[in-house]
Amino acid sequence: MTGQASSRTFRALSVLLTYPTAELAAAVPEIDAAIKHEGLLSPEAAQRLQPLLAELRAMDLYDLQERYVALFDKTRRHALHLFEHIHGESRDRGQAMVDLAAHYERGGLLIAANELPDFIPLFLEFLSARPLDEARSLLKETAHILSLLEERLAQRNADYAAVFTAILSIAGDVSAIADGMQASDEPDDLSALDAAWEETAVTFGPENAIDGCSADRLRIQMRAANRDARRGAA
Amino acid sequence: MSHFLDRLAFFKKNVDQFSNGHGVVTNEDRSWEEGYRKRWQHDKIVRSTHGVNCTGSCSWKIYVKGGIVTWETQQTDYPRTRPDLPNHEPRGCARGASYSWYLYSGARVKYPMIRGRLLRCWRAARAEMTPVAAWASIVEDEAKRKSYTSIRGHGGFVRATWDEVNELIAAANAYTARKHGPDRVIGFSPIPAMSMVSYAAGSRYLSLLGGVCMSFYDWYCDLPPASPQTWGEQTDVPESADWYNAGFIIVWGSNVPQTRTPDAHFYTEVRYKGAKSAVVSPDYAEATKFADIWLNPKQGTDAALALAMGHVILREYHLDRQVAYFDDYARRYSDRPFLVRLAERDGRFVPERLLRASEIAGCLGESNNPDWKTVAIDEATDALVAPRGSIGYRWGESAKWNLEEKDGQGRETRLKLTLAGDGAEIAAVDFPYFGGRATEHFVATQHGEILTRNVPVRMIETADGKQVKVATVNDLLMANYGLDRGFGGENVASSYDDDAPFTPAWAERITGVKRDAIITVAREFATNAEKTNGRSMIIIGAGMNHWYHMDMGYRGVINLLVFCGAIGQSGGGWSHYVGQEKLRPQTGWTPLAFALDWARPPRHQNSTSFFYAHTDQWRYETLTAAEILSPTAPEGDWSQSFIDYNVRAERMGWLPSAPQLKQNPLDIAKRAQAAGLEPRDYVVKALQSGELELACHDPDDPANWPRNMFVWRSNLLGSSGKGHEYFLKHLLGATHGVMGKDLGAEGAVRNKEVVWRDEAPEGKLDLLVTLDFRMSTTCVYSDIVLPTATWYEKNDLNTSDMHPFIHPLSAAVDPAWEARSDWDIYKGLAKSFSEIAPEVLGVEKDVVLTPIQHDTPGEIAQAFDVADWKRGEIEPIPGRTMPAISVVTRDYPNLHARFTALGPLMTEIGNGGKGIAWKTAHEVEALGALNGVHADGAAKGLPKIETDIDASEVILMLAPETNGEVAVKAWQALAKATGRDHAHLAIPKEDEKIRFRDIQAQPRKIISSPTWSGIESEKVCYSAGYTNVHELIPWRTLTGRQQLYQDHLWMRAFGEGFVTWKPPVDLKTIPGVKGLRPNGHKEIVLNFLTPHQKWGIHSTYTDNLLMLTLNRGGPVVWISETDAKVAGLVDNDWVEVFNINGALTARVVVSQRIKPGMMLMYHAQEKIINTPGSEMTGNRGGIHNSVTRTVLKPTHMIGGYAQQSYGFNYYGTVGSNRDEFIVVRKMATIDWLEGPLPSEALKEAAE
Repeated sequence: MTGQASSRTFRALSVLLTYPTAELAAAVPEIDAAIKHEGLLSPEAAQRLQPLLAELRAMDLYDLQERYVALFDKTRRHALHLFEHIHGESRDRGQAMVDLAAHYERGGLLIAANELPDFIPLFLEFLSARPLDEARSLLKETAHILSLLEERLAQRNADYAAVFTAILSIAGDVSAIADGMQASDEPDDLSALDAAWEETAVTFGPENAIDGCSADRLRIQMRAANRDARRGAA
Repeated sequence: MSHFLDRLAFFKKNVDQFSNGHGVVTNEDRSWEEGYRKRWQHDKIVRSTHGVNCTGSCSWKIYVKGGIVTWETQQTDYPRTRPDLPNHEPRGCARGASYSWYLYSGARVKYPMIRGRLLRCWRAARAEMTPVAAWASIVEDEAKRKSYTSIRGHGGFVRATWDEVNELIAAANAYTARKHGPDRVIGFSPIPAMSMVSYAAGSRYLSLLGGVCMSFYDWYCDLPPASPQTWGEQTDVPESADWYNAGFIIVWGSNVPQTRTPDAHFYTEVRYKGAKSAVVSPDYAEATKFADIWLNPKQGTDAALALAMGHVILREYHLDRQVAYFDDYARRYSDRPFLVRLAERDGRFVPERLLRASEIAGCLGESNNPDWKTVAIDEATDALVAPRGSIGYRWGESAKWNLEEKDGQGRETRLKLTLAGDGAEIAAVDFPYFGGRATEHFVATQHGEILTRNVPVRMIETADGKQVKVATVNDLLMANYGLDRGFGGENVASSYDDDAPFTPAWAERITGVKRDAIITVAREFATNAEKTNGRSMIIIGAGMNHWYHMDMGYRGVINLLVFCGAIGQSGGGWSHYVGQEKLRPQTGWTPLAFALDWARPPRHQNSTSFFYAHTDQWRYETLTAAEILSPTAPEGDWSQSFIDYNVRAERMGWLPSAPQLKQNPLDIAKRAQAAGLEPRDYVVKALQSGELELACHDPDDPANWPRNMFVWRSNLLGSSGKGHEYFLKHLLGATHGVMGKDLGAEGAVRNKEVVWRDEAPEGKLDLLVTLDFRMSTTCVYSDIVLPTATWYEKNDLNTSDMHPFIHPLSAAVDPAWEARSDWDIYKGLAKSFSEIAPEVLGVEKDVVLTPIQHDTPGEIAQAFDVADWKRGEIEPIPGRTMPAISVVTRDYPNLHARFTALGPLMTEIGNGGKGIAWKTAHEVEALGALNGVHADGAAKGLPKIETDIDASEVILMLAPETNGEVAVKAWQALAKATGRDHAHLAIPKEDEKIRFRDIQAQPRKIISSPTWSGIESEKVCYSAGYTNVHELIPWRTLTGRQQLYQDHLWMRAFGEGFVTWKPPVDLKTIPGVKGLRPNGHKEIVLNFLTPHQKWGIHSTYTDNLLMLTLNRGGPVVWISETDAKVAGLVDNDWVEVFNINGALTARVVVSQRIKPGMMLMYHAQEKIINTPGSEMTGNRGGIHNSVTRTVLKPTHMIGGYAQQSYGFNYYGTVGSNRDEFIVVRKMATIDWLEGPLPSEALKEAAE
């Protein structure tokens, strides 16, 4: 099965995004070795993981945990749940999770952990059990969210951004999607700001329906999330 | 030939149009519709509701698909109402409809969280030591303790396992109990009615431990003390459906469509039916749109408005013309006929206390409690009588505590309202006037501090042979309202246009409301009541209750209702909807909640006094007693500071104390034994000798600090904590924004009873634990955060004031991530505690002090004077002149066994509430059969309470409201006191027993019970006071009637014998900060008001993007266009709002809606959402309570005096906050403070 070659890389990336524990710190050499052995990541992407691996191995565990909690547990901005970024408080979120769990089940896997279906490490673990082609195509579907997280984490100077860089490097060329995600709000150009914020009329039918998980949808969400509370003060 | 073969026989051609071109056929892909179809598919629907801070109590359908909650919609299956009454539903609002977002939100608390620094210390210590020793090694080492307490509010959380945090918390509790005493473990959780099992989980744990449950209703300033003062009732109000029965509704300081959204339809419907409505609101609030007439008084002047309306109603319906219904009601249901002694002073007279039977020779034939039987004159015989129903009849005898028109000997009476008439003596009586004391922000009038008015009086001879002048409450009341009755003298008015208190012309000056509008509303209100026998209603809200002198506004309004005979009539009455809750199955719940099944009494504390002392807000007090003292105050030293008054109240047994003694209460019994005394006698002696000390005398002594605190179902620090910055500074030791100096630094220490320490403690708490499902402000400041189940993930019960139904919260899905229900969390904690307790605790004797309780025989403690044992004025007698003293046995190693079983006292002693008691062994037996019994262990043979559903069944089984058999028993128990049959109210429902699964199927209407003053029937809606009027059950007051005159010494001292006008007080929060740190923008001063909002229920929902989007996406304050212009502000500017208490930052909304002179900031917008740094403090801007500080009022401390006796959430000091003024100015720099903690702070913290 073609998936075998990549399974350990996906699992390695999955555990790197989980809460740091002593067990994880001890497993760093194994993670490092698995990634190098499979060679699924580009050398650059693999190299960029090194600072995180080094920290996980050497840094004080409490500091690692405090950082993880501050990054992922306490802010929605870096939430490791895919749909938090797409659906937010929308009612579509429940259905999207139901659909994703059903997808896992069709793949023969049932969620055993006390986690939501859209938790990224869980999603990566699922990919580890799928053929690489399929995994790649699923990754591409989520690439816009993953690149958003990469971007936001990079802004925080977080070495965790490298994990997303690595995941995206597996997905292939996603730069077009990622570019489209850059918020184009120009704070000084009020008419552009108005245009960006203009509500779109609700329409029904195939042409105008926005796919719940599409980049368009994410762009709408990001506009809301990126709204700079400072603006307008002048 | 025809084109036979060209025609199709069996098909028709694919057409693209039909119906004459109105229809079109297309073949495009319609799979997109799947999304919409799937949206309405689900696996199951579960009934739940939103369960802490909203009293809407709306039933919701929770849709579950694939184990995931997908959305919620409003339930529409409430039982139908009777014909001609609209149904209750649909209930719900936009906030509730967005709740399901919380379940899977990034804002959810998913794991037990603990400060990394604390966990590091704990694990290191725990590796070498037992749990309690490990905790001791941390908190006894100042550096280790400070390492985590000083970074409260600055992050640094890590995840932990349940086992680990439970052990740590249990160790902290055990250490605290052993070292300092269990009363240093405190817990705060509000409004149990909305999820009563979750509340009970924590309070049961605390009560078994000997910890302290903190009150909330008074602290929130939602308690109107005028209600206990007038009725002896915490608060009892009509359900919203009863609005539909009204003919005239005044909505006063309440914003029904915005804050009572699911009930507002009854207000709309009754207006279609023809009811008229007046709305009183200084701003153009949403409710004003419902008004036929809008009265917009200056904020804080409501009492003046009410007094003027009372003036009109007394003049036109009681004096110039007597309405028969009003006159009869006044004689039978109010204290207006009762006689008041007049004390002579400088040749004039001052109303003193109500005359008592014991003061008349022969005690009017009364031998039982004659000190507590009030006296009136019988109209037919002109003789003094002691009418039935006064509190003296309630205790020590039976069958005479009722409102029949009889005296104690059974003689018929008709009480006389006035002494006016042929040859009546007229005396000059002094009334205080405070209207000249208004600050520059309000209108001060020059009428003199004392208003002398002529009143008809009679001279009587008392038992000691003295001649004493008396007057009826009624005659004094008429004089108090400034009505000219032809007795001559000054300060009375015969015309509404006279400038004399309290005419409409006078009120126009103070309130700004035109006198014609005042007269019109008063007249129409009373005329409607006259024509309908009392169907005039006043819906009243926090806009009035949150002022320091709220009692004046409230009593002004209550008087209007009593004058019009509206209390106790369906469609009429007093609808106080301020943080209102009605825990309908209350007497079934109290045993579970306070572990009364295992030990009595529990420890309760009034939060306002507690936080005033322990967040050291008293150290900054700016208001003095002299500023609020009456010019007619009886002689005595009234000049103490408010904390002194509170301490006196605590030691006289009026108010509770926590912690109680400086010494550990677990050690007292041993000391007593060593001294060869009973604990009770030992405590009395040792307090006198100084061997024992009351903790309240020195709140800053480390021995007296609260040490461990639980907060659950609450956002104490992000929402309700008045004096927020003082909490941060003194209770938590965190970064704070207090800008004022304390009284020591100001050289203004005035306290005499309380020890002043030059250095104030910072960081009294060793451990703060918060249970929540979202990362609230309180969580951010906590040491440990425990993830709770959301309202769709647990089983619980929910009732409301607003409708008579009981319905459930249900676990639609299991708690997500590591979350657990409150019941399971405290049960798990109890288990850990039992396991580690033996290290330091076994079976212990705990000496518990409790204040004199309302609705117990002790409530008649000191009939005439206030005597303080500490000053040697009287002997210390527990339960009479000092707190009651009890010894409670705690079985610490079996705390878990006790937590999960219904204890033996229910069978041995029974159950009850509000002064009545009944046996309940039968219900205990039934619970054993329903829940099962424990097979072995310390609770062998006792009914199990393992799950939240078991706990719900305990409540439902024991409560009269949900068990008809108990209801009948309860009414029969009350009948013993009243001598009248009441069981007819419940007998038709005797066989009804409501179970948890029943209410999951459909909300159920509760059964009438004597716990409440309204009834549930097919004929009337729930209406407060109904059974007082229709069943002749007395109000639980001194006279047994609605008490318009308050005769306690302290009430008279502060000029509140009768209702009067008191302007808002001067808290002096501006001078120290205005102009202190200029930023180049103009600073203006405004009055700061904090009503409830539309985009959240308190702080809940306000962090949800839907609600943020509907509002402005962050904190906002509202000001008028006029003030904005003066301050150079435009809409959406960033402004800073500050005074000496602290600072907050927000955007400004500039609106015509707002009255000039006021700023409105909707309550509880949290600082965790879009809040930049303050230019004044350099810290992040605070919450609305950053600019408030709580101020106590001595009249709220009165105890041991009939209706003015302590009860948990019933009476006590209240946390008012609307007298605050603030400075507002535009911000120059917006700093989001996004960098790391300044290194200095880090370094200091790490040391």
